[in-house]
Amino acid sequence: MRWLESAPERYDAGMRWITLGCSAQVQAAAAEAAAPTAGLAVLEIGCGTGALTERLLQRGARVTAVDQSAAMLEQARSRLAGVACDALRWSEHTAAEIDSLPEAAFDAVVASFALSEMSPSERRYVLAQTRGRLRVGGRLVVGDEVVPGHLLQRLVFSGLRIPQAAVAWLVAGSVSKPIPDLAAEVGEAGLVVRSERRWLGGSLALVVGERRA
Amino acid sequence: MSTWGERLRDLLQSAFRLAPWPTEAGLRAVGSPDASSPVLITGNYDLTVRRVVRALDGLDAWLVIAPSQGINVWCAAAGGHLSTHQVVTALKTSGVAEQVKHRRAVLPQLAATGVRSVEVSRRCGWQVRFGPVRAEDIPEYLARDGRKTDAMRRVRFDTTDRIEMAWMWAAPTALVVALAAALLHPPWILTGVALTLALSFAVFLVYDRLPEPRRPIFGGVAVALTLVGVSIADGGGPAWITAPLTTAFLTALLTFDHPGSTPIEGGAHFTERAWRIAFDRERCRGVYACWEVCPEACFDKLESERKVALAREDRCIRCGACVVQCPTDALAFEDASGARIEPDVVRRFKLNLLGRRVVDAGAPERAD
Repeated sequence: MRWLESAPERYDAGMRWITLGCSAQVQAAAAEAAAPTAGLAVLEIGCGTGALTERLLQRGARVTAVDQSAAMLEQARSRLAGVACDALRWSEHTAAEIDSLPEAAFDAVVASFALSEMSPSERRYVLAQTRGRLRVGGRLVVGDEVVPGHLLQRLVFSGLRIPQAAVAWLVAGSVSKPIPDLAAEVGEAGLVVRSERRWLGGSLALVVGERRA
Repeated sequence: MSTWGERLRDLLQSAFRLAPWPTEAGLRAVGSPDASSPVLITGNYDLTVRRVVRALDGLDAWLVIAPSQGINVWCAAAGGHLSTHQVVTALKTSGVAEQVKHRRAVLPQLAATGVRSVEVSRRCGWQVRFGPVRAEDIPEYLARDGRKTDAMRRVRFDTTDRIEMAWMWAAPTALVVALAAALLHPPWILTGVALTLALSFAVFLVYDRLPEPRRPIFGGVAVALTLVGVSIADGGGPAWITAPLTTAFLTALLTFDHPGSTPIEGGAHFTERAWRIAFDRERCRGVYACWEVCPEACFDKLESERKVALAREDRCIRCGACVVQCPTDALAFEDASGARIEPDVVRRFKLNLLGRRVVDAGAPERAD
């Protein structure tokens, strides 16, 4: 969804429009899975305009939010201007740089609509790094655009994808690339997949993985 | 792929280069590179990557393709899609560190508008240098051990470049004109397309080479050409539909900003965008980073004083590369009213000829 990023103030509305409101449902479920109780330390990769960050804070989490876009972070800052600062740390860095954060320091790592913007090699690197940031028993929660699993859904999906991609091209540039098998990638990063939920004809997924050792 | 296939792909991609044309970011081996081979970085625009690979024919090198959203190096760097972040990401995640012993990489010089070399080494330990502007100069640059000639540092805009840029505007515009004519007035199709092509090429090949006053001269010739075209297409018949269409098109063509597609006017048709470079001589420590990256050779080295001089400001196209690179923040953007955009804001928000010029956060402060 990078084309929405070129106009950060329109990003949230654009995401809701494109996902028929499901992006908010994915983020609500992500916040619930990452912060089931108050007081947990959560690392958010690619926080964007802070929509998920806000939900995490509402659930009492202490959040470290990383995003590489200064313009996006400005949106997030103004959204969360009224929130107590000691529960929230901003970091203007790329996802790959989470490798400099302390090991096993987080109860959960979350990313919503961030992984589909990465190349396969970047995604592999970042997912592998998330494992190291989690304490044993901690959870990785990733929600993103994916390729649907069922044949029929895939057909409908590819039909709709063409006009969507065309709009994206005309408006500002590129599009994100739906992830072929998100659960498998979470597994390859050395995490045990606990659950997977789907929305919007299987084209949005929320995968929860756990660090067992 | 065959040479013909390659050429066809070049032609298609240059026709629609206004749209992104991504290739997978990551690491590619060119030739048979080993642990001491040079590391070159570029963006993930397919046409660029193929051209770089062609330019490296016969050499062994590692090519790190940074995720620039399928946009070419200069546009991506100016628009915030090829910044320090993307280069750090590519160097860390592409796996190049496991392939080579050294930590030196070469970036295209035109990436200097977006990528800050000192920041890259601070964040991931790689020493990046700005290589030549053009991919075709890479072999000579490598053979000279990374010493650039003055010509390698300059953006040229020769006839081949002009034809390529004209084609980029002409092809999609002609397509739109053809579709509009097919719907509204079919006899106009051929003439409309021919005129569109002729005018687009004229803008790029002739416009800046005309004597002043350019705009009236060019406009006069264009209107005359169009009238001839209209009368041929209508065969003396009703010109009520073609004439307004043509007028609208001509007006658009002559007033359009052509942002960033020529290194001539730099999108300066609108005075509110006419930021100039402000140089603080006191702060200059003679590092010459600006001199190294300026694609228009605006700076002179004053070696005895360890300073630079902004000697040819009139050539400046406001790409912002010097502002981004200067390690002592001696350069900034300034407009006629004295409003300044400080280097840190330029670096983070890409305020330059192509990037966004206004942001709410860290908006330019008035100097008065």
